[in-house]
Amino acid sequence: MEVFFQTLVGGLGFGAVYALVAMGFSIVYRTMGLVNFAHGQVVMIGAYAASTFYMTAHVPFFISIPVAMVVTGLIGLVIERVLRPLENKDFDLMLIGTIGFGMVLESLATIIWGATGHAVPSPVDTEPLDVFGIRIRTYSIVVLAVAALATVALVLFLQRTKRGAAMQAVAMDHEAATAVGIHVGRSNAVAFAIGAGLAALAGALVAPMLYVNPTLGGSLGIKGFAAAILGGFGNIPGAVVGGLAIGVLDSYAAGRFQAYSELVVFLVFTVIIMIKPTGLFGERTVNRA
Amino acid sequence: MSGTVTDPTPTNPTPTPTDELVVSGLSVHYGGVRAVSSVSFTVGPGQCVGIIGANGAGKTSTLKALMGLVPRTAERIQFGDHDLTRVKARDVVRHGIGYVPEGRHVFPGLTVEKNLLLGAYVRAWKGETRSTLGEVFELFPVLGEMRHRLAGALSGGQQQMLAVGRALMSKPRLILLDEPSMGLSPKLIEDILAVLQRLSAAGHALLLVEQNAKLTFEATRTCLVMENGEVAMTGTSAELRDDPRVRQIYLGL
Repeated sequence: MEVFFQTLVGGLGFGAVYALVAMGFSIVYRTMGLVNFAHGQVVMIGAYAASTFYMTAHVPFFISIPVAMVVTGLIGLVIERVLRPLENKDFDLMLIGTIGFGMVLESLATIIWGATGHAVPSPVDTEPLDVFGIRIRTYSIVVLAVAALATVALVLFLQRTKRGAAMQAVAMDHEAATAVGIHVGRSNAVAFAIGAGLAALAGALVAPMLYVNPTLGGSLGIKGFAAAILGGFGNIPGAVVGGLAIGVLDSYAAGRFQAYSELVVFLVFTVIIMIKPTGLFGERTVNRA
Repeated sequence: MSGTVTDPTPTNPTPTPTDELVVSGLSVHYGGVRAVSSVSFTVGPGQCVGIIGANGAGKTSTLKALMGLVPRTAERIQFGDHDLTRVKARDVVRHGIGYVPEGRHVFPGLTVEKNLLLGAYVRAWKGETRSTLGEVFELFPVLGEMRHRLAGALSGGQQQMLAVGRALMSKPRLILLDEPSMGLSPKLIEDILAVLQRLSAAGHALLLVEQNAKLTFEATRTCLVMENGEVAMTGTSAELRDDPRVRQIYLGL
């Protein structure tokens, strides 16, 4: 029983990171109907940016995060601006364009930081907490808290602000949105910037938990994407649940199946999606192809 | 939907004499296909003009072209003092033109209230917009009752009311309506007619595109008949209603 809870708690920390990655996928999908396949690589850039500021500029870790978010936010704006001419013209090319950007970002990271990568010391050096015999890493609690705050902020933004409502309207009907005066391109740019900011948050938080290297984006991206699909693509609370679920699943699979853990995680994921193709909280789907 | 339309009038835009829509030489091409060729007409301040025609006659393309939603060429598109020939689609509403698209096109995943507020996107969402919202709820009580429901859960008639309400939220002086009767029962079409008459009485200029000629003749004073992308006939609605050809083709009499 203790092992059970220990594994659960261990999985939640990574789960929170996957949740943040998934939210980034979902916000762009919800507002643009587009899957940003460069998202994983933006997470990786975020991890590098934050850890570089933290380790070489000796900026406090929690200051380096917003700096990294600004860096990736700008990258997000660039991606959107370059792809904008394809909007409403060729959606498939736009998708492929995001894949291309992912490759560019990965290569850039190799050029700037080298192919070997670096380890990042934990910014929180207190002892793990002991709750009824279960050891909880303090840093995991920090990650969970930050992810929770980001979720609440994002949901409030979408539900309470004019810009948030307008962004959703664009995804539902871009022509009607244009007719009421919404600048569709600007709305998409904001979506991309927010998605990229969330990516940096995820990357920065995961940096001390993993070895930061240029291929980090691939593995985090695919798990975050799976998390978004599992929760119901485009659904923000769903992305959080999906992320935590993948994290916990990952943790159990790693304990029981070691080298085959990824296989088991994605097998379980595939079975769930076959049973419920819209995901756990799937609602409408955006069809813009 | 509740059916009857209650008394209070909606926004009163008080047209100024310059609020005239002048369109001349408006054409729309889709690839090599010409959907609208050199159409000209005017809609005077507070006037109600109809465009009737069969499916594919170019009615919807004409409205979309006015909104800037499709590529167009025109000698002149002018509303009031403003030249709209180069105005982007997202800025047309800022010149006082509201648009009710064919097939309603409400935002299905947002609440009725959010849909209406987005209609007022170009205005600040404060005091005055709130009072416009109140006016729309007075005009369409059913929308007030369902203000927290998702627009996608509304019936066709209710969605049509919502689409009209959304257009009203920007306080337009001219409203372009594309087939508001589409897919509605005769009873609901009666309601739409009442709504159009009320909007007109409140001083809004209307440009109504319809396949339903009977409704159009009742709602408008002047009408155009479009065929194959061109204006085939123009006249007062009363004249056209009695025209033998119109009676045969569009009224089925």
